[in-house]
Order: sequence, then C-alpha cells, then structure tokens
Amino acid sequence: MTTWVDLESYQPVAVKMLQHSITRQRIAHAYLFHGPPGTGKQEASLLFAMRYFCEHIDESTAEPCHQCHSCKRIKSGNHPDLHWIEPDGQSIKKDQIEYLQKEFTYTGLESNQKVYVIMQAEKMTVNAANRLLKFLEEPSRETVAILITDHAGRMLDTIVSRCQRVQFHTLSNLHLYNQLVEKGLTESTASLFAAMKIDVDQAVKWNEDDWFAEARKIVIQLMDRVMNSNEEGYLYLHQVYLKHFKGRDALEFGLELLLIWFQDIVSFHLDKQGSIVLIDQKERLEQYHYVVSLSEAKTLIYEILNTKRKLAQNVHPTLAMEYLILQLQR
Amino acid sequence: MKILIEREPLMASIQNVMKAISSKTTIPILSGIKFEANEQEVKLTGSNSDITIESVISREEDGIVNIHEIIPGQIVVQAKFLPEIIRKLPDNQIEIQVDDDMNINIRSGHAEFKLNGQDPEEYPQLPVLQTENSFDIQIDLLKMLIRQTNFAVSTSETRPILTGVHIKLDNNELGLVATDSHRLASRKITIDQVENLSFNNVVIPGKSLSELNKILEDTQDTLQISVTDNQILFRTKHLYFLSRLLDGNYPETSRLIPDQSKTVMKVNSKDLIQSIDRASLLAKDNRNNIVKLVTQGQQNIQITSHSPEIGQVEELLQTISIEGEEIKISFNAKYMIDALRAIDSEQVLINFTGAMRPFVIRPEEESEQILQLVTPVRTY
Repeated sequence: MTTWVDLESYQPVAVKMLQHSITRQRIAHAYLFHGPPGTGKQEASLLFAMRYFCEHIDESTAEPCHQCHSCKRIKSGNHPDLHWIEPDGQSIKKDQIEYLQKEFTYTGLESNQKVYVIMQAEKMTVNAANRLLKFLEEPSRETVAILITDHAGRMLDTIVSRCQRVQFHTLSNLHLYNQLVEKGLTESTASLFAAMKIDVDQAVKWNEDDWFAEARKIVIQLMDRVMNSNEEGYLYLHQVYLKHFKGRDALEFGLELLLIWFQDIVSFHLDKQGSIVLIDQKERLEQYHYVVSLSEAKTLIYEILNTKRKLAQNVHPTLAMEYLILQLQR
Repeated sequence: MKILIEREPLMASIQNVMKAISSKTTIPILSGIKFEANEQEVKLTGSNSDITIESVISREEDGIVNIHEIIPGQIVVQAKFLPEIIRKLPDNQIEIQVDDDMNINIRSGHAEFKLNGQDPEEYPQLPVLQTENSFDIQIDLLKMLIRQTNFAVSTSETRPILTGVHIKLDNNELGLVATDSHRLASRKITIDQVENLSFNNVVIPGKSLSELNKILEDTQDTLQISVTDNQILFRTKHLYFLSRLLDGNYPETSRLIPDQSKTVMKVNSKDLIQSIDRASLLAKDNRNNIVKLVTQGQQNIQITSHSPEIGQVEELLQTISIEGEEIKISFNAKYMIDALRAIDSEQVLINFTGAMRPFVIRPEEESEQILQLVTPVRTY
C-alpha cells in the first residue's frame, strides 16, 4: 500500500498541499484532484480518506496508521461512511447522485464523518452535476467530497469553482518506464505503456493478455496497409480491425496506438530519436516518414484526436473509423 | 468458533435479520450476516446501512435448550444462500464450525456445507448504546404511534428532513410529529420514569419506522428505546432494531397549529370518511384530488366534488353540531381521509379558521394527545 511518502516522490506539490491541509486541520469541504491518468489521484484520495477516518491519528503527520479497523476497511472497500461513485457505463447518472444525496441526509453509520469520492467526475451527466452542485454549495458538517478527473476542462465551471483544486502533474515517462521494466516487461512494451500512461498494475495485467499483443499486431498491419497506396486499408478495417476492437474502450485503445505511431513519425522527422516510443519498429518508421511529410503527420494526428472526440460524442463507431481510414490512406 | 444449535430458533433469527439485508449494496461486507457467539448467546446481525437488525438466540430459555455447545467467535457469512441451506438441512441440530482461515463448515445429519466466510473485522461497528439514555414503551402503543404519524411524512426528497418523524421527549412527555408541509400529524403520550431524560431534534426516517412496524408483533411487552447522536435503537428481548437518523434541523412545527378557530364542527368520523371517499371517486383522476366542504346552517354540511370532464357529485351530511361562522373550504380528500383514519375515534372535532387557513382535526376525547392538521387548497 502506498503512503504519502511514496506518493510525494512523484507528486511533491499536490502531496505537500494535502498534507498541510490535514496537519493544520484546514480540510476543505470539497477537493478536485485533476491530472492525467496514472498520476496517483486515486491513491491520494484513499490516503486522505484513511487519515480522515483513522482511529489512531498522529497529529504531527498526515500519515494514517494503516493498521486500525477503519484504515483496513477503507483498503478493502468496506467502510460504511466512505462512498465511491464510479461511472455506470458511459456516465455518472442522476440516480447515483441521488443515492449520494440520500446518504447525506442520513447521519453516518459509525460516526458523523463522511467522505465521498467521485471517480471520473467529468462523466457526470448535466442533471447529475447540477444535483451534486446543490450539496457542494451547502456542505453538511464533517463531510468531505473528493472529485477525481482526468479532464478538469470538461467539468462544469460552477462545480470547479466550489472545489479546492489539486493539480497532479504528469509523470515523466521515464519514471513509469523504469517501474515497468522492473516488473519484468520487455523494453518495447514498457516504453509503449509508459507513453500511454497506463498505471503499473494495469500494465502488468495487459502484458499477460493475448488480446493486447494481437491488438498491437493488427495496428501494425493496418499501418502497413494505409501507408501503401496499393493496399486496401479500408477492407482491412472491416475484415480484421473492427472485429478485434469491439466496444468503445477497445476502439479508444486502438486509436491511442495509432496516435503513438504518428507521434513517432513526427519524432522521426524532427530527428528526436530519444522520444520515439516504438523502439522495436524503427525500420517501419523510417520507411513511413518518407511517405508522410511532417505537416501531413500533424494533420493526421488531429484527425485521430477528432475521431476520439467523435466516439465520445456517440458517433457510430464504424462510420467514425471508416472516415479516419479514408483520411489516413496514402 | 463452533456452535451446535437447534434449527428452529436459528431459522427464525436468520429470517429476522434478512429483512435488513438488501441485495444491492454498495458495501460488499453488508451482503453478509454476522454471527457472533459468546458463552451465553449467539447474535446475528444484518444491515443495509440504513437499518440494522440484530437477533439474539440465548443458550437456554424457559427450560428449552436452543444451543447445545458454544465456542466463542465471530464470522460473516454470505446471506444469499444461508436461509435456503439452513431450511433444507436434514437434521434438527446444526453444527456450525469456523476455522482460522474463515472457512465455514455447516453440518447436519450427513450433509455438510463448506462456505467461505468474510472477516468480521470488516463489518461496520455499531455504536455502543448507553442504557442511561433510554426509556421503555409498550410495543402495541409504539406501533399505534407509528401508525398515527408515519403516513404523513414527505415522500419527496426536496426537503429530506421531512421524510422522517420528529421525536421529542421532555417533561415525561413523548411527542411525535410528521409533516410533508401540506399536512401534519402529531401525537403525544406521557411516559413514566424518565424524569432525567430529554431530547429534541431526533428525526427517524419514515422508511425505517415502517420497517420497524412490520417487524414488531402486536404484543403488550415493553420495548426499550435508546438514542445516540447518529442512531436510535429499539430493543426487545430478542431483537434489536437500529436505524440511522436524519441529519439536520427539523422545522419548528408548534407555530403552525392555529390556537383559535372561527368554526367548530363536531361530526361522526366514519360518516365523514365514507362521504369524502365517495366524493373523491370523481376527483381521484384529478391531480389534487380536491373535495369541497360547505356548511349549511347549524346541522348540515354539503360535500361536493366536480371534475369538468367526468361530472360531479354532491352529498348532504348531517353533523352533530356546527358552531361559529359559515365556511366554504376545499381540501385534498386523501389527506383528509388519512387524517381521520389515523385518529381512530368515533367522533371528531374539526376547527376551521377561514377558507385559506389550515384546519385541525382532533378526537372528541383526549383531544390534547392527538392532532391532525390539513392545509386547504385554493379554488375559485
């Protein structure tokens, strides 16, 4: 289990700020933890909750004891006065916030302290966000809200303005890369996962998953097809690609891989060998950088990002992907 | 932990605590029943975090041995399968054994179940309720109090505090108030031997009270009520019922009740209920279910209702007496019927203070103890 000390090694600013607010007993009623994925936001919220409920509080530090009932139950997800809200499918629905609302009109089960953590808070529907706003505005006593998001920009301004913002900085890829190599991942895979900012546990899990290896291969083949004017990328999309990348998360993942390919092509153009992610594919990259000019590569990166946005906006996945392939085809 | 227990009392206990366990819970541990064995008794606990029910099986009661063997310990057992397992076991004696790795072994006759348990340390810790802060009340009386007030709690979440019944104890007098801001039900009783005890602003969720009402049997036994900061405990001999309270300040309701009146009507409750019920037949479709009451002279009232699309109904009802000004008033029929039913008296007194002011219904006898207030509806 992480401690504040562990976390401080890679999030010095955020951790310092939280520690001060704890030790000086100036805990705000609502926090917004924002920053890219895998930067320790969730760990920080757990630690915060543990310290808040801890039965052996040491006034001099912000560290929870990790030993008492409360700490243990927070780790196992069984603490009755800590509420986790995660998106139910695509979004956090009104019902989930209603549940919270009900929960807050009741007294606590064990004490009157309550903490609620909302994961991926940007996924709240407008209805849900507006309902949440109501009790962010009128916090009940001894209640702390922690909103966690990767995209602070997508949150309602009215919500953001009512929270204390805590920025979690982007981790250097190197830090993650080293951690992954330590876990026994091959250098090329570690480099890829580090670039995708996937947290360590997830990366180890995926590394053992065949689906992931297959996905990488398919993206390489798709690149081969679209970079070669004789080959039909469009057919490949339907015959193989879409069959493998089913569902929104998978499609998102595929796009992420494609994005890295084009980022690498840009790096190749700029002669930044050090920042290339796909270290095992340098030959292909060299070949492709003759096909795609620097400015074209940039445009295509925008196209891929655009496709991601379309998927988030519920555009039909097949149509969005077809459009992208037509843009990519040389 | 090891217990050798009779099936009947165990089954009854499991069924009691199952009432508190909900299938969809956000806290994984609450999908289980907690078993707690000490030298004298076995205690089962079930909870959905709003309410918690504990059921106690004593080792021996009235000469009947319930539990033959106890080695103290604790365990949390998955509640989903337990009732069926216990019910279908072949023998009347059941042995439950738990090892250090939290494996549960249930044996009866030649059948043997091995279940995975959960760590009892993970289970929510219920507050230790001090006995000084408690008082006794008869079960059937408590059930009546719940029945007479709980119907009036608000069902909308816009003002969450109104979804509960407010309880106040002061000067040996216990008062319950429930309101949804359109109507109000209030009931008071005198309680003995609570000289030093008083509390205010204890608001019990209406849902918890209906659940309690279902679980308690109509007996004359006494029940102990203890109040803490965040929970209330209703304690009978074998069953402990805990509920979380509502957080917030209950509005001051005493000012809402008018102390004078312009028209006082005394009427047979049953006749009035039936008459309003008939009138509301046509009004039910309507959003507000409005019925109009008009006094006619010193004896009669006319009850009417009309809905433009369907038709109208008119009925003349003889009262026992009407004193004061003439009045024309409209109100929600459902609220009125609920109030009259809750009063449960042959004759009721209704005090009006004008067509736009709330009116008060009291039983003819012991009129201080019970009071129902209904606000009228503005009509043109």
